[in-house]
Amino acid sequence: MAVSSLLPSARRHPGGRPHHKLDLDGTRDLKLLKGPWAKGFAVALAVAYFVIPGSLEETTLRTLCYCGLYAIGAIGLNLLTGFTGQISLGHAAFFGGGAYCAAYFGDKHGWPFPAYVLAAIVVGLAVGGAIGPFAARLRGNYLAVVTIGLLFVAYHLFMNWDSVTGGGNGVGVANADISVGPLDFRDLELGGLKYTFVQGMFWLIWAFVAITALLAKNIVRSRPGRAMQAIRDRDLSAEIIGVKPTRYKVAAFAVAGACASVAGVFYALMQNHVSPHEFGGQVGLFLSITFVAMIIMGGVGTIFGSILGALLVEYGTRFINQRGADAPILGIPVDQGWLTVGELNRILFGLLIIFFLVLEPRGLAALWMRIRIWFQSWPFSY
Amino acid sequence: MKKQPWLRMLALLMALAMAAAACGGSSDDDDDAAPGTTAASDDGGDDGGEEPAGDPEPTVGFDGTTIKLGVLTPTSGPAAIIGNPLTKGNEVYFEALNAAGGVAGKYQVELVVRDTAYTEATAIQEYNATKGDVVMYTQILGTAIIKAVLSQMVQDDIVAAPATLDADWILEENLVPIGGPYQIQVINGLDWYVNEDGGEGSKVCMLAQDDPYGDAGEQGVDHAASELDFEKGPRVDFSVGTQDFTTQINQLQSSDCDAVVLVATPADAAGALGRAAQAGFTPRWLVVSPGYLKLLWAGELAPYVTEHAVVLSEGAEWGDTSVPGMAQMVADLEEYGDGQEPDPYFAFGYNQARAVHQLLEKAVELGDLSREGIKRALAEVGTLTFEGLMGEYEYGSGPADRNPPRTSTMFVFDPESPTGQRPITESFASPAAESFDFGN
Amino acid sequence: MTALALGAIRSDAWFETLFSGVALGAKYALVALGFVVVFKATGVINFAQASFVVVGGYLCFNAANTWGWNFYLALLFAMVGGALLGLILEFLILRRMAGEAPFTLIMVTIGILFVIDNIVTAIWGPDYHDLADPWGLKTWQWGDVDIAQADVWTIGITGVVLVAFFLMFKFSTLGLAMRASALDQEAALAQGIAPKRVYQVAWACAGVVGAVAGAMLASGTGSLRPDMGLIALIAFPAMILGGLESPGGAVLGGLIIGLVQQFTALLAPEYLAWIGGGFDRVSPYFVMVLILLVRPTGLFGQKEVRRV
Repeated sequence: MAVSSLLPSARRHPGGRPHHKLDLDGTRDLKLLKGPWAKGFAVALAVAYFVIPGSLEETTLRTLCYCGLYAIGAIGLNLLTGFTGQISLGHAAFFGGGAYCAAYFGDKHGWPFPAYVLAAIVVGLAVGGAIGPFAARLRGNYLAVVTIGLLFVAYHLFMNWDSVTGGGNGVGVANADISVGPLDFRDLELGGLKYTFVQGMFWLIWAFVAITALLAKNIVRSRPGRAMQAIRDRDLSAEIIGVKPTRYKVAAFAVAGACASVAGVFYALMQNHVSPHEFGGQVGLFLSITFVAMIIMGGVGTIFGSILGALLVEYGTRFINQRGADAPILGIPVDQGWLTVGELNRILFGLLIIFFLVLEPRGLAALWMRIRIWFQSWPFSY
Repeated sequence: MKKQPWLRMLALLMALAMAAAACGGSSDDDDDAAPGTTAASDDGGDDGGEEPAGDPEPTVGFDGTTIKLGVLTPTSGPAAIIGNPLTKGNEVYFEALNAAGGVAGKYQVELVVRDTAYTEATAIQEYNATKGDVVMYTQILGTAIIKAVLSQMVQDDIVAAPATLDADWILEENLVPIGGPYQIQVINGLDWYVNEDGGEGSKVCMLAQDDPYGDAGEQGVDHAASELDFEKGPRVDFSVGTQDFTTQINQLQSSDCDAVVLVATPADAAGALGRAAQAGFTPRWLVVSPGYLKLLWAGELAPYVTEHAVVLSEGAEWGDTSVPGMAQMVADLEEYGDGQEPDPYFAFGYNQARAVHQLLEKAVELGDLSREGIKRALAEVGTLTFEGLMGEYEYGSGPADRNPPRTSTMFVFDPESPTGQRPITESFASPAAESFDFGN
Repeated sequence: MTALALGAIRSDAWFETLFSGVALGAKYALVALGFVVVFKATGVINFAQASFVVVGGYLCFNAANTWGWNFYLALLFAMVGGALLGLILEFLILRRMAGEAPFTLIMVTIGILFVIDNIVTAIWGPDYHDLADPWGLKTWQWGDVDIAQADVWTIGITGVVLVAFFLMFKFSTLGLAMRASALDQEAALAQGIAPKRVYQVAWACAGVVGAVAGAMLASGTGSLRPDMGLIALIAFPAMILGGLESPGGAVLGGLIIGLVQQFTALLAPEYLAWIGGGFDRVSPYFVMVLILLVRPTGLFGQKEVRRV
C-alpha cells in the first residue's frame, strides 16, 4: 500500500492523485509561477513594492535602489555567464557606457528618459554584439582576460573622448529628465502627495528590475534559453545537434551589455555624476568582479539568484560601512588601530566569495532550493 | 483559458498596497521617510545687525551642544598616505579647540570620518550616508572626488572645505578653499627661478599628470611665461601609476630643458626624479607641493633632490616660532597627535580646520547653524586668517569677490628639518602671481 | 655614441628605451611565469599571483629594512615566504577546488587576492616605502647611454630564475612529474605521480617567482607600494599572448609587452597624438587581442583538443 493513500488527499481521490509536481506534457515547466507558493510570493513582492518606500528610512531606501540597479546588471551577467557559460570580466565597461549615455543624451542633450534609456540599450547591444565574435573564437580563460582588456579600452575611451565624456573631470547628470509619461520621478507627486527623489527612484528602478527579470525568465524558459544552456554545458555537442553557438554567444553578450547599460543609466541618475575613474582599469575590474560575486553568491544560472546576490553584496557592503564607522576596529593606521573599514570590507568580501565557492558553489538560490526541497519532500527529506 | 481567481485577489491586494504606499508620501515638502532632513528654523537669524542674535537652534548636525562635521577622506588605498595625516590635522585642531571650550566657548565639535578609498562611487555613497548628520564637511579630499560630489552638494545646499589646491574651487559657492592654488605655486616658483636662481632666458619644460591637475600647473606656466623672461618648453605627460619614466625623461633630455616643473603625486614624482637621477639629467626641478613625500625622498634620492629639486609650497618651516601660530600647532600636535609625525599635510589639515572654525564662529554669531546659516556665514566671514601659517584668504560676499593668497615659499629637502622641508626663501608673492586672474 | 636624432628622438633614447623595455619585460615575465607554472600544473588561472608579488616585496622590505638583513638574504627570505604562502593556499583552499569549472576557480583566487592584499596593508600600512636595495639609482655609463644598475640586476636575476626553472622542468624528477601531470593526469597517476605533490610544488614555485618579481618591482626607481599587485593586470596579456601552458611563451610575452609599452610611451605622443594620453596602458591588451585573433591559444599555447 502506498503511503500516499494515508494522506488526506487520498480520501478525496481514491486511487491516488498525481503529485502536483508531475508534469506530463511540459506545460508546468513553462509556467512562470509554479504552484500556489510561488503565486503567493509574487503577490507579497508586489505588495512590498508599493509599501516599502513609505516605511523605510532614506539611507536604507537608497541602498535598496543601488541593490536594484545592480540586480539589473547582475541578471544580464547571469544570462551571459550562468546560462551561456561565457566568462566576462568586462561588465563594468558596459555599465560605464550606459552611465555615459545617460549623461550625454539625458543631461547634455536633454532627451527624455525613455529616449536615452533606449539609447543606452542600443549602445549596450551594439558593443556587446561587437564583443561576441571574440567569444566565438576564444574560450574560458582566454576570454576572461580579453574581457579585462575591454575595461582598459573603455577607460582610455572615457578619459580621452572629451566632447562626450568630459574627460577626466567626468560629467554631471543633475539635469537629466526622469519622467515616464506624466510621472516625473525626480519630483514625484501623486494625488497631492510629494515623494522624495529616492522614493521615486526606488519605484522606477525596481519596476525595471521586474521587467528585466521577466524578460530574462522568458528567454530562459524558452528555446533560446535551452540553447544557451546547451552551449554552456557542452558546446561541441550543441553545435552538432544544430544549435549555432556563435549566434547565441553574440546574442548573450549583446543582452548582457544591454542590461548592464540600463543599470549604468540608473547608476548615473543616483550618483548625479559620472567619472571615468569609476569604470576603468583596476576600479572597473573591481566592479566587474563585484558583479560576478553577486551572481555567484546569489546563484549562477538563476534569475532570482541574481537579485538575491545583488541584495546580499550591495547591502552587505554598505552595512559594514555604516557599522564600521562606529566599530572599535576602525582606525587610521597611525599607531591607532589596525584595520580600516575599507580593508575590512574587502577582506570580508574576499572571504565570502571563497566560502560560497567552497561550500555552496551554486549560491544562495541553491541554498534556498535545498531548504525548499527539504520541506517539500518531508518526511522523506534526507 | 481558465479563469484565474487568484488574479482578482492580486488586483485587490495591489489596490490596497497602493493605498498604503500613499502613506509614504507627504503633503508638504517635509517627508517623514527621511528623518535626517528637518526644516531649518529661522529664529534668531533674521536680525543680523542691530541686536545680538540668539543661540543657534538645533538643526541638522547640531543638537544644541555638539556640532558635527563630516570628513570624506581616503583612509585606505594609495591616497591614504596623504589622507591620514591631513585628517589627523583636522582632528588635532578640533581636539585642542574642544579642550579650550569649543566653538564660541560653548559647543564641542565632533568629526564624522568616512573612508572614500579615493573612489568617486564610495565618496558619493558616504556623502549621502552622512549628509543628514553633519552641519558641513570640514574635509573632502581629492579633486575628482570633490567634483563628483559637488553637484549633489549644490542640490543639498551643503558646504565643504576641499583638501586640494585646485583653482576651480574659488568659483564654487559651496566650497571653502584655503591656500594658494597650484597655479600660484608654479608662478611664484618660476619667478624665484628666473630672478633668484639664474633662470633668466632659460628653457622651462613640464612633466605633468595627464589630467586637470597637470592642466592647472600648465596654466601657471603660461601666465608666468607672459610676465617673466623664460622660454616655455614642451609639456611631457604621464599617467598616474607609470612604472617606468625612461621615455618621459628621455623626451625632456632631448628638449634640453634647463628647468622642469613637475606636477605629480608622490609616487610618480619619486619615480620620475629617480629616473632622472639615473639618467644624469639635472635640470632645476620645480616640484608642486603634492609631489613631496619625506619617506620617498629620504632614501637614495636624497642627494639628488637636495641639490636639484625645490618644492613649491606655502608657509614656514615646521617649528619656526617666529610665526605666531607655529608654537600652538607644534604644541597641539605634541599633546593630541597620538604619534603623528610633523608633516606638511598635517599642517594643511590643521589650517583647514582653523578655516572651518572661523566659519562656525561666524555662524554662531549670526545665530544660525543650519544650511542657510552656514552659507550666510560664508558670505559674511570676511577674510580667513591663519596666524601666519598660511596666506590670508579674502572671501568677500561671494565667489566673485574671493581672492586667494598669492604667497608661496620655496623649500628644499633637508632630512634634518622636522618635515624634511627647509625654506630657502621667505613667504613671498611675486608680481606675476598678484596679476593672475582666476576668472571670478 | 653621438646624439643622432631619428625623427625627433635621439639614438641613445632608442637604446635606453629598448633596455628599459627589456627590464620592464623581465618583471612582467616573472609575474607571467608564476601564472603559467600554476596553470600548467593545475589548470587554474591564479589571480592571487598578484598577492604573491605584494607579499614578496613586503617580506623583502621587512627583512632588509626593519630587520636590517643583507639584501640578498632578505630576498631569499622573501622567496621562502612566498613558497610558504603558496603551500598554505594550496592546502587550505585550492585542494578542495580541484576539478571545478574555470570560472569558479578564477573567482576563488580573486577572493584570495582581496583577502591577502588587504591583510598586507593592514599589517604594513598604506605608506609607500623605499626598498633598500643595493643598486638604488646607480647607473653604468656607456657613451651617452645611461643604464640603471637595478635594471641590469633585474634582468640578471630574472634570467637566473628562469634558467633554474627550465632546468628543473626539463631535467629533474619533479619537473618531469609536473610535465607528465600536465599532459595527462590520469596516466601520470597510473605511473605513481601523486597530483597532490605536483600541486604543492607548482604553488610553491609560483610563490617564489612572485616574491622575486615583487622585490624586483620595488627596487631601483620603483617604490614599495600596496598596489604593486596591479602589475598582474599587465602580466595577463603577457601570459595570454605567450600561451597559457608555455613558460617560454610567458617569458617572451613579458618581453614583448615590456617593449611595446616603453616604445608606445616613447613614440605615441610624437606619432599618435590623436589617440590621447595613456595609450601605453592600453597597448598590452591591444597587442594581445591582435595576436589572439591570429592564434587563439597564444604564440606557444597548445591547441586544445576537445572531445564531445
